Amino acid sequence: MTDNQEMLIQEAVEKALQGDMEAVNNIEDRVTRSKAKAALVKAKREAAKTSAEPSSEEKSEESAAESKPVPLSLNQKIAGIIASQFPGTVDEESSSETHIQLQPAKWFDIAQYLRDDPACLFDSLQCVTGVDLGEESELEVRYNLHSMTHRHAIEIRIECARNNPKVPSVETVWHIGDWFERETYDMFGIEFEGHRDLRRILLPDDWEGWPLRKDYEVQETYHGIVVPKVKEGWE
Amino acid sequence: MGVVQGDQMVLNIGPQHPSTHGVLRLKVVTDGEIVSDITPIIGYLHRCFEKHCENSTYEQVIPYTDRCDYIASMNNNFGYVVAMEELMEIKVPERVEYIRVIMAELNRIASHLLALGTYGLDVGAFTPFLYMFRDRERILDIFELTCGARLLYNYMWIGGVSHDLPVGFVETVYNFLDYFEPKVQEYNDILTYNKIFVERTADVGVLLPEVAISFGVSGPNLRGSGVKWDIRKDEPYSIYERFDFDVPVGQGLVGTTGDCWDRFYVRVLEIIESTKVLRQALKDIPATGDVHQALPKKIRPPKGSIYRRTESPRGDLGYYIISDGSPQPYRVKMRSPAFTALSVLNEISRGWMLSDVIAVLGSLDIVLGEIDR
Repeated sequence: MTDNQEMLIQEAVEKALQGDMEAVNNIEDRVTRSKAKAALVKAKREAAKTSAEPSSEEKSEESAAESKPVPLSLNQKIAGIIASQFPGTVDEESSSETHIQLQPAKWFDIAQYLRDDPACLFDSLQCVTGVDLGEESELEVRYNLHSMTHRHAIEIRIECARNNPKVPSVETVWHIGDWFERETYDMFGIEFEGHRDLRRILLPDDWEGWPLRKDYEVQETYHGIVVPKVKEGWE
Repeated sequence: MGVVQGDQMVLNIGPQHPSTHGVLRLKVVTDGEIVSDITPIIGYLHRCFEKHCENSTYEQVIPYTDRCDYIASMNNNFGYVVAMEELMEIKVPERVEYIRVIMAELNRIASHLLALGTYGLDVGAFTPFLYMFRDRERILDIFELTCGARLLYNYMWIGGVSHDLPVGFVETVYNFLDYFEPKVQEYNDILTYNKIFVERTADVGVLLPEVAISFGVSGPNLRGSGVKWDIRKDEPYSIYERFDFDVPVGQGLVGTTGDCWDRFYVRVLEIIESTKVLRQALKDIPATGDVHQALPKKIRPPKGSIYRRTESPRGDLGYYIISDGSPQPYRVKMRSPAFTALSVLNEISRGWMLSDVIAVLGSLDIVLGEIDR
């Protein structure tokens, strides 16, 4: 490692310790960046060791951090990009620094944009999670995206109506979307519009109901076989 | 001039078939001996893992994770407890971290040994399987010594591990490593560079890196295609950033980068890297420490959600956990690496002979317990 690189890493780590993660993320050379990240982890650990008594000191630090303008998280930045490219699709009120809340309407176009835009390059769909927000509320699909090039990750959430859940399919954007969406359909009954082969994947084709919904009631019999009840709660 | 016309035939493989590594059914459309389409039909082993989680407390989920990927239970435990500890902001003692890394790497070796051995079996080499199982047995003995179980451990708990290491454990693992390290050369002699084995696997089922990424393929399968991506290095969790080890990638030594042989060979190299990590961990592990010190009295994580990935022997193992503040998880989603690996099967085995499909399937190292959950 040249002295120049070491200087760069040291500077970035110092900035990151003060809360500006971008200093590390902006390092262009990948090797240097990962080295900087490793150094940052080390520095944080040492800092945690030295401040063994948390109570008073940490609290004052926290309140100090609140008054300072907090740097945008990656999710907030990407949300900004989406909002400028596709106005009216980001639900800013429900978005936070850990996720982006989207309207379903233009999800397919947004997904394509996120995959191909050089600043985003989310070439990998990590996980699709269906969530039932409660018996009285809606269903939600959560996508965890990751970029192999930039090595960054975001989370996207899309809500859909409980009685007619529909979300645009992204199976042609990421190949794995095919199976992930089929699994979510299988468990929650969320219809992915535009999916070319939307059918159950883990359960038999003639199974009734959507098992991971909170109001799911198991069918009494399946082809004459009694279906055992799921135990309710933990006594 | 007449045109030769072939009829298409649908051939059913499974669900009970030794080379499918579990209960997996493949609907194969063949044209003569050439495969034109494969539809994997899964779900025979579905046990409602995610539904069970919603009806259990957080600590009761751990035995279920054992049963998902039953070849690498330690790594499955590890992924879950790492996610939970991040959600609850628990800092576990140093000794526990080291114990976990030792167990995870031992289990990685055991899992890879099974993958390599059964892969030899798939393509017709019976003897290497016995060699590898002989050595895997020794690792299972170490696990039995530690927690009494040989396959399903329930060893890692949220905030700690279930038992402290038994007396003489470190020496036992050192002895095992001294015995085991020379054996890798033996595997290479008997299987890796065997002419018949190379003929069966080199250039077969080539998986291009961009295809692999789009299909969410991860772990050794992705690295076999030449992509240097390992969560232990790139998003370090636990104490992995302290260890010095390489991330081996496929280089097409006997064929094309990303072929079946590369995926196989990456696993051989990973075994060597794991032994390196083990030696470092054994050297640095604190001699004493209470492994139950950080166990929370009540497991009630704050409201919120977390997605955390760890590197299991099969790839990126992710847990998406949503907490509503009660002692039971609101939702647990497991992102299974074998699920994504199986989805790419159709893509890379079209156009190959029927016997090559078995070679491709074996090289992906799937575990049906984790695919079906």
